Amino acid sequence: MSARRSLDIGALGGTSSSKATTDAAIAENVAPHAVIDETSGARKQPPPEKASDVRRRTYVILSFWLIVLLLGLPIWWRTTTIHRANLPLDEMLDWADGKACRPVFPLRISIQANSLQEQEAQNLLRLTQHALDDLNDFSGHHLRLQLSPPAAEESHHGDDGAALTIRLIPGESTTSTLDPYAPILDITYPPNSIPSPTSSSSSLATYVAGQLRSTFAEEQAIISFLLSNNSIPSEHRPQGLTPEAAESLSKRTTRSLKYAPTYHLTFSLFASGPLPSSWDIEAAIDEFMKPVLNVLTPIHNFTIDTQVQLYANPGVQSQILSKEDLSSFINAAEWPLSPSIGGAPTINFIVFVGNQTILTAPRETSETEGGLSTSQSWLVPQWGTVYLLSLPSDTAHVSAATLRQPLLTFTSHLLSLTGTPQSGSLPLRLSTLARIRSADLLLRASSTLGSLARLALALPSISIPGSVADGVSKTMTHLRLACETLGGPEGLAHARIAEAEAERAFFEKSMVGQLYFPDEHKLAVYLPLLGPVGVPLLMGLLNEIKAWRKRRRERAERGAEKKKE
Amino acid sequence: MRQLFSLLLLSLVALCFAPHASAADYHEQLVLRPLPLSALLASFNFRSNTTLSAFEAHNFRFFPRSLGQILQHAGTRELHLRFSLGRWDAESWGARPWEGAREGGTGVELWAWLEADTDEEADRKWRTLTNALSGLFCASLNFIDGTRTTRPVMSFQPEGNHPNSTMTNMHLLYGVLPHEVVCTENLTPFLKLLPCKGKAGIATLLDGHKLFDASWQSMAIDVRPVCPPGGECVLEMEQTIDMVLDIERSKRPRGNPIPRPPPAHELKCDTSKPYHSGDTCFPADYNANQDWSLSQIFGRTMKGTCPLTDPNVPPVCLQVPNSRGVYITGGATEKKNLDLVSRCYEIAPDTPEFEMVLPRPESNEESGQAAVVVQEVVKPETPLLYAERSFTGHGQEHGGVQTILRNPSPDTEVEFIYMETLPWFMRIYLHTIEARIEGQAGASKQDPLIQEVYYRPAVDRARGTQLEVRMRIPPASTVFLTYDFEKSILRYTEYPPDANRGFDVAAAVITILNPNPNPNATSPRFAAYNLRTTSLLCSLPTPDFSMPYNVIIFTSTAIALAFGGMFNIIVRRFVAANEGPEMTLTAVKERLRKRFGGFLQKYRGKADEKKSE
Repeated sequence: MSARRSLDIGALGGTSSSKATTDAAIAENVAPHAVIDETSGARKQPPPEKASDVRRRTYVILSFWLIVLLLGLPIWWRTTTIHRANLPLDEMLDWADGKACRPVFPLRISIQANSLQEQEAQNLLRLTQHALDDLNDFSGHHLRLQLSPPAAEESHHGDDGAALTIRLIPGESTTSTLDPYAPILDITYPPNSIPSPTSSSSSLATYVAGQLRSTFAEEQAIISFLLSNNSIPSEHRPQGLTPEAAESLSKRTTRSLKYAPTYHLTFSLFASGPLPSSWDIEAAIDEFMKPVLNVLTPIHNFTIDTQVQLYANPGVQSQILSKEDLSSFINAAEWPLSPSIGGAPTINFIVFVGNQTILTAPRETSETEGGLSTSQSWLVPQWGTVYLLSLPSDTAHVSAATLRQPLLTFTSHLLSLTGTPQSGSLPLRLSTLARIRSADLLLRASSTLGSLARLALALPSISIPGSVADGVSKTMTHLRLACETLGGPEGLAHARIAEAEAERAFFEKSMVGQLYFPDEHKLAVYLPLLGPVGVPLLMGLLNEIKAWRKRRRERAERGAEKKKE
Repeated sequence: MRQLFSLLLLSLVALCFAPHASAADYHEQLVLRPLPLSALLASFNFRSNTTLSAFEAHNFRFFPRSLGQILQHAGTRELHLRFSLGRWDAESWGARPWEGAREGGTGVELWAWLEADTDEEADRKWRTLTNALSGLFCASLNFIDGTRTTRPVMSFQPEGNHPNSTMTNMHLLYGVLPHEVVCTENLTPFLKLLPCKGKAGIATLLDGHKLFDASWQSMAIDVRPVCPPGGECVLEMEQTIDMVLDIERSKRPRGNPIPRPPPAHELKCDTSKPYHSGDTCFPADYNANQDWSLSQIFGRTMKGTCPLTDPNVPPVCLQVPNSRGVYITGGATEKKNLDLVSRCYEIAPDTPEFEMVLPRPESNEESGQAAVVVQEVVKPETPLLYAERSFTGHGQEHGGVQTILRNPSPDTEVEFIYMETLPWFMRIYLHTIEARIEGQAGASKQDPLIQEVYYRPAVDRARGTQLEVRMRIPPASTVFLTYDFEKSILRYTEYPPDANRGFDVAAAVITILNPNPNPNATSPRFAAYNLRTTSLLCSLPTPDFSMPYNVIIFTSTAIALAFGGMFNIIVRRFVAANEGPEMTLTAVKERLRKRFGGFLQKYRGKADEKKSE
């Protein structure tokens, strides 16, 4: 037993035998009597190790370490590494910073001047363009004039290239009227105001330029507001946005819904009692709302559903609603106003039958609500509209005629919920809406790309699957296309795809899965394995290095002795 | 005789309801049926219709929009959803309400006919449907995945009228969640679907506290297209709640729900017992004194009627013998039906509250207790079949299922389809399936009990077992249907929380076929009666869940031992014991002395100097 133990000890100390021998030698020198006291008799020196054994041991240790380093480490690295697809991070950040695309809206405006000579018309056009360029301080929004051939008059509706057509008509005085049904601006001019070919300024040209500017002022303001809210470099930004204008614009943008190709419109009739239980909503929608929906079709699709809900108590019971009550009027817990299934957002239009009225101080309505809130209805930003309809208590059926006023209110609220600008004729407002939406989508997709890039940089442990990289590259292709064709209908389509792809890439499900894998966890898994295996390996290596250095020293000493001899 | 009667009843019911379906868009009715042993069955039925054209135009009036959209989005042609709790005690309560067609097994059950061109499309729509319904009803229906979905072949038939063109690409999918606990959060969305919400009509009686305290309850939603002959097709939605209330339990005041023995003078004794005297008492049968009022058993009175309901359908019906007196509030009128065991109440539209009191019957001692018992409660109808299911088998690996099916009828044989959907971790051995009649050894060869078996084996982690067996049971006999299965071991992550409780196995669905099929007709036979067994709790071998860390530590230790030993043997040099470095106690002392000996000598030297001085 004891022999085996000592053998073990010997084995343990085997590699450091040289140290032990020197120790023993010192011990002999210092205290010779201690060795005499030894019961097991005199300690012998172990026989000198064969050089081949020493070499073999070195090889063994080296081969272990080679296996660990060449095989173990790569395997560990490969199995624990997180798949990160390559993302063009710099480009993505460029998009987010607005360096990749300078949003420019070149608007073509054609001038029809049938009564003018070609020469005169050209001259007028040049002067007007000049005046416009002088007035414009925002390079992103650019109005380009062109002269349309006189023959194109009949087909001006089909001329989709131009955002607006100006018809110059000779008349008594300088006036302008906007056609309410088509994007046409009629300008009459007295015959003497035609500039001579040599003059460098003309009152008519200035007038036309001013009219154009005021027509597109709102669009320009909105687009510049959108740009200023994003991290577009300041040299592209317009300067002339007053804080008040910016505030009202930000109010309007927060009110409008996020762009979606399709909206669900839900018309709900709520009654606090059992009556009325039916309504002529289908006929009413066809009569009062369909025309506007049809006009909006190029930009949005709409699906419509209607419901009747009885015994619905509002969240506020009081007879007269103050402004504070309006926010809690909708009883979200009990009213079945769940959004429609499918991806599209829902806009709710609620007719509440009851005799409640809204308390409106005249000052309040005109200022804080921007004139939107009458005493019957109010608009809930990004959600919909509530209309309070008071009916005789025994009405069982709501006729289409009764629904006229509510639906007209809903229609105008729908326009502001979709973010349509408020001034100008309807066709102009809609074409402006398309441009605003494409700018908005473009900026949103860019900023999503930026967020994704920042996320990828900030979290080195997040995995990035290949689908995200695909989505990013698709987004960037479409963004580039959208940027080139901004202002046109295909620009909107590209921006739409880019935005959808960017969102999909950003909200990729598998990215969030193993986001958190704490270091304590890794320690708990690795330590039990690496401790017991690593310590012998490391000790073996250290001892071997020590022995090797000693051998070298000895060899050096021996060499020195030989030299001495 | 019995078949004839049930057939007659069925056609009568069909005749009764068919005109209503087209006449009115909404009706509701509550049927109260006292059952033996102090139980009361309350069946609430709400039915709302919408024309298919209005439904397709998204105009919702009585049909709830929230459900309508889901059906449209998922291409659902017919939907059946069940939330159930408890066990129907067929031995004492008799046949089930609605012939068992409006109930489900414990937990949540859903089956639907979806319109789809391919199976994959049907699966996708089914996933949409379950996810959407899960949100609507606050139930874990989204957990009905591939492993819990089956496509029954024989057990279910569409209830609605489907045009032949759509029949060809309709897919039936069936999913069940036996573990789901049905509770108040499922009732609230259920009530929201009603046109009158819970604010008026019979729905005001529904209270979560009472409903989920019932001995048995089942909430059902059935949506099916109905095409009355000559009329426009309508989509009919039927919402049904059946509950069996324990009257004694319901009458306990809510503030003091702990049952206490009644004082001696309130004990009801069976005086017919010979040992009855002043100090001995045999408790009388409870049904002898069933007396209650609506507000006692439901905790509230009925708040008027729903004004939208069809005025031709009486809102409340009570099934007690005509001889019993019932008190009702003013504004309501009683109409006794011709069958002498039921009566209905018409309630005037402006009645604010309706209350009904069923008093204790005039107990006339001279006529004897037994006579009163017979008069008092309508004798429950005997069901066509009794079924019980339980586990057999032993150990952690070998399991078995035994179903006892009893045909109580003395002269008619019963033909039915027995359907089981088992989770994949119960691997059944189909060759062990066996049916034998009690008292006979083994199955008889000439007239096999099992007529047809449809079996779809499980795929591990992908789908469950589906077993449908068509059986025929001779009159007045009991059949044991048994099969064995093996319990498999799950992966660590597949165990649910609280795995030691066991795994719920869904109820078996038994569909009794109509007994007189037209021999040359190919059309499927209608189900005459449905019943479900109770669900089972299967315990699987459960690991210790600190296992992964134990495994890591254990394997690491083993590797370390093996590796360390091997490495040292290879690397170290072996020398004789007396050649190696000294490692005994003396050697350690020597080392210490060597290191600290200098100090000691110095100290000693100082002491010596002092001495010499």
